[in-house]
Amino acid sequence: MASLESAIPTPGQAWRMEKARLQELLDALNRQGYTVIGPRIREGAIVYDELQRLTDLPIGWTDEQEKGYYRLKRREDEAYFGFAVGPHSWKQFLHPPVFLLGRARRNGQGFEWIPPTDPPPRYAFLGVRACELHAIAILDRVFMGGPYVDPVYRARREAVFLIAVQCTVAGGTCFCASMGTGPKAPPGADLVLTELPDAFVVEIGTERGAAVMAGIPCAPATEADRAAVEARLEETARAMGRRLDTTDLPALLYRNLEHPRWEEVAQRCLTCGNCTMVCPTCFCFTVEDASDLSGTQAERVRRWDSCFTTAFTYTAGHPIRQSAKARYRQWLTHKLASWWDQFGTSGCVGCGRCITWCPVGIDLTEEVHAIRQTDGTIAGERR
Amino acid sequence: MSKAEILEALRQHPFTHHMDEAWKESLAEMARLQTYAPDTLLLREGRAADAFFLIIDGIVAIEMFIPQRGPVRLQTVSAGEIVGWSWALPPYRWEFDARALVETRAVVLDAAALRARMSQDCALAAWILSRLLSVVAGRLKATRLQLLDIYALPEGRLA
Amino acid sequence: MIAATGPEAPVAVEQDLFTPLPFQVTAVRRETADTFTLRLRPPDGRPFSFRPGQFNMLYVFGVGEVAISISGVHPRTHDLEHTVRAVGYVTRALVRLHRGDMVGVRGPYGRGWPVEEARGRDVLIIAGGIGLAPLRPALRHLMVHRSNYERIVLLYGARTPRDLLYRLELERWRGRFDLHTFVTVDRGDEAWRGHIGVVTTLLPLAERLLDLRHAFVMMCGPEIMMRVAARELENRGVPPDQVFVSLERNMKCGVAMCGHCQLGPLFICQDGPVFPLSQVYTFMETREF
Repeated sequence: MASLESAIPTPGQAWRMEKARLQELLDALNRQGYTVIGPRIREGAIVYDELQRLTDLPIGWTDEQEKGYYRLKRREDEAYFGFAVGPHSWKQFLHPPVFLLGRARRNGQGFEWIPPTDPPPRYAFLGVRACELHAIAILDRVFMGGPYVDPVYRARREAVFLIAVQCTVAGGTCFCASMGTGPKAPPGADLVLTELPDAFVVEIGTERGAAVMAGIPCAPATEADRAAVEARLEETARAMGRRLDTTDLPALLYRNLEHPRWEEVAQRCLTCGNCTMVCPTCFCFTVEDASDLSGTQAERVRRWDSCFTTAFTYTAGHPIRQSAKARYRQWLTHKLASWWDQFGTSGCVGCGRCITWCPVGIDLTEEVHAIRQTDGTIAGERR
Repeated sequence: MSKAEILEALRQHPFTHHMDEAWKESLAEMARLQTYAPDTLLLREGRAADAFFLIIDGIVAIEMFIPQRGPVRLQTVSAGEIVGWSWALPPYRWEFDARALVETRAVVLDAAALRARMSQDCALAAWILSRLLSVVAGRLKATRLQLLDIYALPEGRLA
Repeated sequence: MIAATGPEAPVAVEQDLFTPLPFQVTAVRRETADTFTLRLRPPDGRPFSFRPGQFNMLYVFGVGEVAISISGVHPRTHDLEHTVRAVGYVTRALVRLHRGDMVGVRGPYGRGWPVEEARGRDVLIIAGGIGLAPLRPALRHLMVHRSNYERIVLLYGARTPRDLLYRLELERWRGRFDLHTFVTVDRGDEAWRGHIGVVTTLLPLAERLLDLRHAFVMMCGPEIMMRVAARELENRGVPPDQVFVSLERNMKCGVAMCGHCQLGPLFICQDGPVFPLSQVYTFMETREF
């Protein structure tokens, strides 16, 4: 091991950092022009928002999650990251819920197009969970992996600084362990933090991460620290509130498109679209047009959309997916089956948000389980 | 119009594809070749269904005469198809009109002779009736699709 | 990061991805009561390059954008042609435009008809209603490169004689000895001396002219029509990978990002709109999919 004085952080290394020094990390990022976004409490939930000080974090708080249920609760300790994921995801910063694509100004019989000019924000994300790193990698494929690249997403994504925090608490609706998306952080983050009772273990992921850490006094992580990290991750994996059997999952769903379970879930589903809003990978958007009263200026705004609306499939005067059954089926089969065909990955990372935030407590792991139990059943046609 | 010509026309018609050669020859015995000028009727509603038409060339419209509107064309039948199945069902009376829209050629089978032949030869009867059934089913399917009015704008649209 | 997936893959136009290019309307021709053909001149005046079957996103100032297939290029002026049926608010605004107005254009997008793959084969084109519009560039391509193909048959069905598109061109097609054109309507009128019945009733006529089992079939029309025709073709022994259909769905982006046009694993905008039947038949048969 290199001595403390001569050691320079490099990718692949792990360091032990006093908890309070996290403030220095924030300051360093601020100095480099990053806006730091991280978890904080707003309106009874842990959301992602701008952080100024370390004390903005929900220190000493945790969340209780079940289907259709979310409550904040005091912890018995002062853990910085002792909670699971809340209703927000990083999607909202990389793929803005509302984005002005441009303006058009009328000139004579024609119009002039004015593209957006604001420089994209430079974000540092603090507290990105393993499932969320996977979700970002999935969005990368959606917006940057095809023949066309989305300039809106790319501008934000390429500027972002990622500080992962590995989960030491599993939420009641979490199932990342069975999805292979956590709790251990996959590669991709600039820094990966794991919270121990008295310190953070910081793994350096990138040169950029190393550069930020260079100014913060800390010691190399010991073997005991590393072992403690592994032990905590194992414990988290064991404590998962849910699991999803992914064996042959796309084929299972494709051969059960007419299964009666879709009708059953549709009896409960309100088609509110909450699941698509909280989902860290749901990417669909619509484009809305508006013009001023005089008809000289028009705007095109891109806005998150949901496959749970009937307008979503409005084609030549009619929605294609009219029934709730068809819309729920579209969402679930997209997440777990067709996503594989489209992007070579699952669209679900097992974060459990869609379960927690469903107002009627629909649980996709239950739905898949029910279909698997009665594989091959065909619904009687009734309308 | 030689028997050989009639037989050849019968052989060429899709209705007799895969039919026993001996049957084709016996059908030729009760058949004639006929050309219909544009606008002439092949058959007329209410009259005795005394013929079975295998269309070789042209277009035949299935029509119904409506008072104050005149003949309304419902469907057309083209080369390679058949016209008329009422000859096979008692009381052997036409239910519609069939009119040649352009010059039309057909092999016309004598229905009385055909019925007599079929009553003696169950295998031939089964063969012809099953062919007729598939024609009727196809015509019915086409009619149902016409009823759907598939090119019309969907009603109750919001846009 | 921006990897082309093959020779067919479109070139990425990053910063301009959502920027409509202003095209000038040079003519609006009425085809039927609710269907119009717009002629559009590109800003630089250069011929617009596309493959038969591709579509553009057309933007009407302040109203919105809609995906419309390209129905041709004017032979003399090289103006881009789009045939639009007024069924929604954007299409209604499109057909109300006048000569001199501007339309924003993004595209061309999507995969077109298999005009290259069909070389050396018989080709059967089945069009229903406005479905003739995306097929017109394919048919024109076949006729320009006529010697590359064997027999060509066009079956075209419309609601009434007054709903037939491209009447003059249709007459010219009917007059050609190297193209067999059959037109049918669901409802005839006094003057109509042609076929009456749904377009699938013309299949026996096509079958007499070409060898369906080896022909390439290109089909576009209401989904119900394509479903029925697909079954008829299957019954006649046509392999489903030789039958191509053009599908329609709501689209907001045209580049497989907005998610609207999904059909199971497929993005109609990117993987289609033209698909081999073998790729989409199951999904077409799944209700409300």
